[in-house]
Amino acid sequence: MKPLNLIALLCFLGGATWALTRSDRSVRSIQNAYYSAISPFLKSGSAIEEKARNFSNEVTHSRSLEAALEVTKAELDKLKLIEQRFDTLEAENARLRSALKFTENTKFTLIAANITRRQTTNWYKTVEINRGEESFIGIQNPVVTAEGLVGKIDLIAQDFATVILLTDKSCQVSAKVEGSADLGIISGRPAEYGKDPMLILSYLPKNTNLKKGQRVFSDGRGGITPANILIGTIESVESGAMYSEALVHPAVNFNDLATVFVIPREN
Amino acid sequence: MLRYSITLFCLILLTVILQQFVPAFIALYNARVFLLLAVFLCIAVTVPLPVMFLYALICGFLWDTQCAISTSNLDASVYVDSIQNIRFGSSILLFGLAGALMNGFQPIFRQGKWYLSALLTGISTFLYCLAEYSLLDFLRGSFTINRGVMLQISYTSLFSLLVAPLVFALLFFIARISHYQIVVTQKRSFRRFT
Repeated sequence: MKPLNLIALLCFLGGATWALTRSDRSVRSIQNAYYSAISPFLKSGSAIEEKARNFSNEVTHSRSLEAALEVTKAELDKLKLIEQRFDTLEAENARLRSALKFTENTKFTLIAANITRRQTTNWYKTVEINRGEESFIGIQNPVVTAEGLVGKIDLIAQDFATVILLTDKSCQVSAKVEGSADLGIISGRPAEYGKDPMLILSYLPKNTNLKKGQRVFSDGRGGITPANILIGTIESVESGAMYSEALVHPAVNFNDLATVFVIPREN
Repeated sequence: MLRYSITLFCLILLTVILQQFVPAFIALYNARVFLLLAVFLCIAVTVPLPVMFLYALICGFLWDTQCAISTSNLDASVYVDSIQNIRFGSSILLFGLAGALMNGFQPIFRQGKWYLSALLTGISTFLYCLAEYSLLDFLRGSFTINRGVMLQISYTSLFSLLVAPLVFALLFFIARISHYQIVVTQKRSFRRFT
């Protein structure tokens, strides 16, 4: 090996070792600095993306109008477009009504946020929301929808945050089962091919008598996630040598998340 | 060489930002265009080994900075077992290994056979993603690779394979304006793109 290549390899390994030995706090500092640095680019990029989308929409609209003038079925096409738009608005209205009802029913202060990006990394189950430190939310704040618990804030920047979903093994929540005194820890389970993501309720007593269909709620232990937020329903229970485990079907449809609510720390 | 290397450094930074706007294809098992890796792998075959290591360090560091999730400040009463995630810095080693593989085939690329390097970009992406997933899965104590994961990795590799010729075209262009020769028959190879 050439001396220069050897020196480069040693420098590379030195750099990698330096990075591998960073503490979690250092990593957070690096991430904060990184996102602060690229924040202007992200903002500009988002603005360009929005302009492009608007322009694209305008072009589509103009084309449909032009087509409507030229062909005899113009009015019908227009009505079809209106109908589609109406359907979208109706769905959006229903979703917002549902969300509003949820906000009124809960005792917490909730901060509404939209999902801006899904699956931001290769393997971790994460989404990005359009709320950050500016909205007074913080790391580990729970994220919910009208259906139930979604996950927790993992990384936070000035005006956006990353949410780690309940379906990821890194997101764990203390849970209880309705009609039972059993407590356990909920965490994600790797999704099987072609099937919905599932959760595992572990550390249940060995002789637990939980049944399929029983609902699982957060129990508030640790003080991060408030108690009584629906997590899912039990699918099956399996006894182990020391503990039992239950397979839980999540209450939230993680593939259909649009608007979520963050529960800030002051709650 | 220096002008070419600096331009490539700027290209990497640009790619890091662009990667933020590349979504995962939910319908294709969360596969994505792994632009940063594809650009790095294409660069790796055009530069000397020391420069490749430098870029591997930069790319791995930036990728981990984008992706790392927290494993500390967790509630001990809830997190009974410690959570194992891919350690910050691991991607540097993976980028280095994938880059070394690409760099090893530099003699073939220098003969103007960029299409073989493009094919190798897809293979390296597959190996990189498989290694990254296996590492995470092993750390989390399950080590199960199902069909969905294999399809996700395969589609991601396919996207890299498709992107690679465009990246090579860009690299030929950068090399030309930087007066740096990346292939022995550079003029002929570049003409093939134009």
